[in-house]
Amino acid sequence: MSTNPRQDRFLKLLDEHKKIVYKVAASYCRNPADRPDLEQEIVAQLWRSFGRYDEAYRFSTWMYRIALNVAISFYRAETRRSRDTVPAGDSLLEIAAEGSGETDGNLQILREMIARLDELDRALVILYLDGNRYDTIAEILGISESNVGTKINRIKQRLRRDVARTA
Amino acid sequence: MDLDDLKQSWQQQDRKLDAGLRLNTVRLYVTTLKKAETSLRRLSWFLWLDLLVDIPIVIWLGSFIADHIAEPRFALPALLLDVFVIALMGLGIRQLVALGATDPAEPVVALQKRTESLRIERLRAVKLILLASPLIWVPMLIVGLKGFLGADAYAIFDHAWLAANVLLGLAVIPLAVWISRRYADRMQRSPLVQRVMRDLAGTNLNAAQDFLASLSRFEEEGAAV
Repeated sequence: MSTNPRQDRFLKLLDEHKKIVYKVAASYCRNPADRPDLEQEIVAQLWRSFGRYDEAYRFSTWMYRIALNVAISFYRAETRRSRDTVPAGDSLLEIAAEGSGETDGNLQILREMIARLDELDRALVILYLDGNRYDTIAEILGISESNVGTKINRIKQRLRRDVARTA
Repeated sequence: MDLDDLKQSWQQQDRKLDAGLRLNTVRLYVTTLKKAETSLRRLSWFLWLDLLVDIPIVIWLGSFIADHIAEPRFALPALLLDVFVIALMGLGIRQLVALGATDPAEPVVALQKRTESLRIERLRAVKLILLASPLIWVPMLIVGLKGFLGADAYAIFDHAWLAANVLLGLAVIPLAVWISRRYADRMQRSPLVQRVMRDLAGTNLNAAQDFLASLSRFEEEGAAV
């Protein structure tokens, strides 16, 4: 569709890592109707910054940083910025019916737990659940590796306490 | 149940996304990529326009001060206005430079800290502008009448009247802050008015300072989760 090689390369990389956009947007939108707007803001920022992408970094690390930075700012915005976005309804990322998988009860518990975390712990947990190593999480967030470990352990303890209390 | 048990469900969902998630490329090309470029141009254009408007005002005020240097009653209000506009220009240039230097791919904590510090600076400036507005209009009247119509505001208006306006301006400031604190949250139908009132009341500034503090705590080794 495009005759621009830079756009084609961006599209290829975005397509390979589109799950990051989907999961970050789904985890930071209190209202699911806002998800397409956040997805669009993340992708727009990725495209704006793509010219400065340094191949020395893994694309996923670069993408996580931008996606989380945009999502935290979006989450903190007092009002929705609708001027630069197309109204919700026509999503950038679509899930086929067989791929939704939202019926898993554990996933529901996990989503509720993530929703109770503040914006920074939320970023940490998403990165951990995605299977990133502590050093990668530390690189993305800009904190020390031991700090990542301490925080993950405390979140785990808190989750156990919450589950015990509910039970 | 442990976070690691739940991690399995998350990764199971991941595999389902691998099979089912599709990128809407038509929408990507038609809207997102084009709009991303347009909005970037618009932001730069807006900031530069702001500076281009301020420059002739500073030059005109400078020339007015030079013309009336022997008349402090005109030169001083003009100097006050000139300092005000130069301060606004300085803030605009600082934001332009900071925006240009910001890389959205910086580590999350560093970028959020920088963004929030800039936001705090902007909110302080907005609050100062809003609070200074009732005081600025008297110097504007004096300089405007002299500069554009050649009229002497001190001769047209009673000195007591001008002084009373300055005092009224001072009295309006605490009243405006009180009204903002009391009614900002009730302005949900007018987000812009609500935002201005929250800026004036300092609510947005407090929230930004709280977030900056929580970023520092997050960054600290072994901070409580």
